[in-house]
Amino acid sequence: MSQLTYLEAIRQGIWEEMERDPAVFCLGEDIGIYGGAFKVTDGFIDRFGPERVIDTPIAESAIVGAAFGASLIGMRPVAEFQFMDFIGCAFNQIVNMVAKAHYRWGAPAPLVIRGPSGGKVHGGPFHSQNPEMWFVHTPGLKVVCPASAYDAKGLIKAAIRDNNPVIFFEHKYLYRRIKEEVPEEDYIVPLGKARIAREGRDLSIITYAAMVYTAQEAAETLSKEGIDVEIVDLRTVLPLDREAIAATVRKTSKVIILHEHSRTGGLAGEIAAIINEEAFDDLDGPIVRIAAKDSPVPFSPPQEEYFLPQVSNVLREARRLKSY
Amino acid sequence: MTAKPATRQNSAVRVSMDSAEPHMAKKQNKPLAVKSTRNGVSPDQRTYTIPDHRLERPNFSIRQGRKGGKVSYEVTGDLSAPVPPIRESKYLNKKRCIEIYRWMLLNRKMEAALENLYKQGKVVGGVYFGLGQEACSCASAYALHKDDWLGPMIRNQGSTLVRGFSPRDIMMQYLAKADSPTRGRDASSHFGDIKDRNIVAPVSTLGDLLPVLAGVALGARLQGRNIAVMTYIGDGGQSTGVTYEGLNFAAVQDLGLVLIVENNLWAYSTPADMQFRVKDLAERAIAYGIPGVIVDGTDACQVYDAAHEACERARRGEGPTLIEAKMMRMKGHAIHDAADYVPKPLFEYWRKRDPITRIENYLLNVKKWLTPTEHRDLTAGVDQQLEADRNFAVASPMPEPESAAGGVYCEDGCHEIKPKYGTPKARKGLAGGPGEVEAAVHLK
Repeated sequence: MSQLTYLEAIRQGIWEEMERDPAVFCLGEDIGIYGGAFKVTDGFIDRFGPERVIDTPIAESAIVGAAFGASLIGMRPVAEFQFMDFIGCAFNQIVNMVAKAHYRWGAPAPLVIRGPSGGKVHGGPFHSQNPEMWFVHTPGLKVVCPASAYDAKGLIKAAIRDNNPVIFFEHKYLYRRIKEEVPEEDYIVPLGKARIAREGRDLSIITYAAMVYTAQEAAETLSKEGIDVEIVDLRTVLPLDREAIAATVRKTSKVIILHEHSRTGGLAGEIAAIINEEAFDDLDGPIVRIAAKDSPVPFSPPQEEYFLPQVSNVLREARRLKSY
Repeated sequence: MTAKPATRQNSAVRVSMDSAEPHMAKKQNKPLAVKSTRNGVSPDQRTYTIPDHRLERPNFSIRQGRKGGKVSYEVTGDLSAPVPPIRESKYLNKKRCIEIYRWMLLNRKMEAALENLYKQGKVVGGVYFGLGQEACSCASAYALHKDDWLGPMIRNQGSTLVRGFSPRDIMMQYLAKADSPTRGRDASSHFGDIKDRNIVAPVSTLGDLLPVLAGVALGARLQGRNIAVMTYIGDGGQSTGVTYEGLNFAAVQDLGLVLIVENNLWAYSTPADMQFRVKDLAERAIAYGIPGVIVDGTDACQVYDAAHEACERARRGEGPTLIEAKMMRMKGHAIHDAADYVPKPLFEYWRKRDPITRIENYLLNVKKWLTPTEHRDLTAGVDQQLEADRNFAVASPMPEPESAAGGVYCEDGCHEIKPKYGTPKARKGLAGGPGEVEAAVHLK
């Protein structure tokens, strides 16, 4: 075991997969000698060579298209997006070319598209987004959003080994803020399985990525008030772990869904529908959703704080829900 | 002469085209608005050459014009030129020339059969034709080797025949049958095969195959093989951004992409003159720093020779080639479209240059490689094959509704993922893992 940051855990995961399987290679903008805008692939080019750590032109459609093409002949490409905000540039390749390939013509696409997403770093409208919902509505993709360093390593390894296209959203706020024990040996965290980040009896918060920490901070305060909060970290948002969602509702009967992307058309709506289908009779209060505002991500720190869900929002909603 | 060399100032790239081929027309570079010095070329002007293999250089333009209250397309230029002969191939012998002709005939007659199936109400959706483009589809795909890859577009059904799909496969696609290559899940030319025929299934959006085929070549190179990867783009499709991204990526990585730019003059109802400003789309190659070449898309021998040379270059690991094939789409965008917007004289001009009539004349009358009896037998064989395939396709079942379910994901070992051309090369390991990262980054 060693102490690794969230970012280092991802690096180690990709590194180990490249050591293990010569079919794994990386491509993206500035990932070679520079090591990537956030240094996730720092040192990779020296170890694995420019053949397997490919600096590309600024051409997101070409990056995804080339990754897909290579995957068709048995390679396992890991494509870096400098910021996940830029994934819109490759949208057609992802949703029309890649995601539909196996269903339409039986072509598996074992590729990973990964990069930093998320706010609270004052990156403004084009360096702070959480665009996972653009892809959660696209059958054929898997969408992963790790919260812990342990999960980040296990999930990136699982994503690389998966035979389907996986979009891997790394939360840039967590890159260097989270540091924890991560095993040095080989392990994976399976895709599509949620984890209980905190056990509790009174109320569930279903969330993922950086919002797990917002939920935890709120849970500490609430525990002093006698409200015992359970936190479900989804880890993978496509496919969703329906069983874990239903199980926590059956246990606590009260649920808050918390996510960092905007409210309308957000994941909370889908999870509320799942609860309605799977555990309606177990509910003992309204399903509460806490999400970012329905606007672009603002730049200035006070505005961004207003935009993003805060611990105070969770506290208020949890106290209100407890009263049911 | 339409293959005017593009002359540019201040360009950082000098493109050297292979003009040593005896049949390539060498172009004299004429700088624009600059005083000539040595050899008629000012030293401060960069010059580029684009080989043009055509034996005629049609020179006309299509513009919008108003007659009374109605705007329509008008063609101006010389449409009276006689049909040129087929250019002698440097590579094709009698047997291979006849094989290409047979593919073209199969392509043409299969599409005629599809048209009949449509009129009988058996086709689900529309039918797309490559009428007038059979030489381009078939002769280009014929230049590929077994290990090479193809990314066909909607008018390249002939290319998929050459790569080993049968007319019944394509017919079943149009009839939405359970045993179609996509098992009813997609239509028309939207099918592929990663196992045996090495075909990437196209999507409806244009240009997206370019980076994908480039990626196939990249993957193959990592597995120790340089292969040729061929795809097509139209005069309309080349306007898309992903076309640029894909070809540029192939260029900087020296990937063996063979891009056939099918300039068939019409993108649905929009003429090429409203799609781009350059005289010849082959000039685009200059901006990518790759070879570009112009061929007559109705001359199977020219198409084959250019495609063959581009594939050989690809297999040597030297990078991509852009081949502009000039021809005309001789039907509407799809079967519903009567193409009334196309000026009639253009149809007359290109009908005289029908690629099948031209190669038939070449084989029967110029080379005398086919006797009338042999030709009759060959045609009868194509007809018999199509009749059998048509009957098979029509009689085959529709899919069960529930067969729409499943297969969204590759699960439970449905596919084994393994390198197709060999174990990828990997640098031998150094001790240790990734070190710590403390470098300054963009956003913290």
